[in-house]
Amino acid sequence: MEEEKEKQPEAPQGKKRAHSVSRRTFVLGVGGTAVLMGLGALRYVGHNPICRPPGGQDEIHLVDACIRCQRCYEACPRDVIVPAHIEDGFLGMRSPTLDFNNNYCDYCAEENEGRPKCVEVCPTGALVLPAGATAQSTIIGRAVIDERTCLAFRDTGCRYCYDACPYEAVVLDDYAPYPRPHIVNDKCNGCGACEAACVSLKAGSIAEGATERAVVVRCLDAL
Amino acid sequence: MDSKKIRTIVVVAVFAIMAIGLIAGIQFGTLSGFGWDTFSAICPIGAFATMLATRTLLPRGVISLIIMIALILIVGRAFCSWVCPVPVMQRIGNFFKRKSVKKAEDDARAKELRDIATYELSCGKKCATCGGCKQEHPKLDSRHAILGGALASTLIFGFPVFCLVCPIGLSFATIILVWRLFGAGDITWSVILVPALLIFELVFFRKWCGRICPIGAFQNLFGRFARPFRPQIDDKKCIETTAGKTCSKCAIVCDADINLRHPAFGEHTLDDCTRCRACVDVCPTKAISMPFIAKKGASGAPVMQVADPLSGVKEGK
Repeated sequence: MEEEKEKQPEAPQGKKRAHSVSRRTFVLGVGGTAVLMGLGALRYVGHNPICRPPGGQDEIHLVDACIRCQRCYEACPRDVIVPAHIEDGFLGMRSPTLDFNNNYCDYCAEENEGRPKCVEVCPTGALVLPAGATAQSTIIGRAVIDERTCLAFRDTGCRYCYDACPYEAVVLDDYAPYPRPHIVNDKCNGCGACEAACVSLKAGSIAEGATERAVVVRCLDAL
Repeated sequence: MDSKKIRTIVVVAVFAIMAIGLIAGIQFGTLSGFGWDTFSAICPIGAFATMLATRTLLPRGVISLIIMIALILIVGRAFCSWVCPVPVMQRIGNFFKRKSVKKAEDDARAKELRDIATYELSCGKKCATCGGCKQEHPKLDSRHAILGGALASTLIFGFPVFCLVCPIGLSFATIILVWRLFGAGDITWSVILVPALLIFELVFFRKWCGRICPIGAFQNLFGRFARPFRPQIDDKKCIETTAGKTCSKCAIVCDADINLRHPAFGEHTLDDCTRCRACVDVCPTKAISMPFIAKKGASGAPVMQVADPLSGVKEGK
């Protein structure tokens, strides 16, 4: 980058002046830029579909703006926002996703009068809601029931998900002896209440080969 | 208590408070986006990148940038030594180095810098008044190229690219991942790969701060105009000017590779001073001070005597 300037003789031990090593500057500068361009190209590799917190439904905008500052993770009163795993792709790593193991997203109805805190704190506007957005119009994802592992489909009469759903998006059919749950796609916004309530992975009720709960929220891109 | 201890305590305390905030859900944010509630001061690189990527002017981003630049114009790169966790992590890394290796490295550095001092003193002129060794430093270096590369990549590919590998972001991510591993049983390769990437960056690039870090580059761009708290040598006290004896302890101790007494020989100039006070502490004759307003007569680096601080800009560099 900069030309070496030798205005005066070298120091006695023949050491070059540290700051005038232009080759190193050049190599580091070009190498670093190349690495960053390569990282940028990850954009075209993409990542697995990831469920986003409210306001992150425009995936392109979210990736554009998220600086992985973890403010939303910290702000979430129900601790459902978590950093995405590297398994979902390096590009998505540490960006916000949702984990409904213990709780679900109620759009901060209880905690903040229905204004999601993650959206409020997001400093870069990566999480941003369109005007007039409500909990029901914000489609985080959609619940999917796995009939192979669902306890209700093994005639246990389990109906936790039905009881948990705040939007009447889980309905029970007339199956005898016990009714079975089904998801009403139009009503489900992917809040995760059913997943949080599902007991299919709890001790004593594990179906063979099950690695996740019988009802899980999938983001729309993954369906 | 010397300032190195105070500095370490400040860095660790800031990091610990933010890490505890992350774990407990108390809102302090991280160094990438620091703040309470809807108030946020965003990392200047993050703010810049996110605005470039979305091609919008973000009020919070613009305000953060203005605040950061204003701070940098006063205290230069002080963030680097008083807040950033990276130098402390590198010191932890050094802790694991074999003692003999570490001593050999330290001795080599000290010898090199003392030889420079001896060489300069041997010319027979008084260092403070001579100016014969003045040499212009490059105004930009590899860090600035990487800053430019990061922003260019962000512009082309449309997302904050450097944030993916930023060691500050990775260190907070490590805290969250470890906490989620033990607190929530969340098992992912990230918990190994994130710290591995962080360690790779800090071990493989031992001069990360001075040669790679674009945040440092950004601070350097504005810090070069920051005059307050720059270290100054009182020539009436300095061993090298009063007795003509080789000392150079201020250069040996400097983590930013600035040679305060013989500025032409430092990798960086006072533009990169992180206000860490190590040179003030180490000076055997207490000749170095860091005044808010530079005293006349006392000498710092020749770059300080540049009359017009904007000269670098005018040259188009």
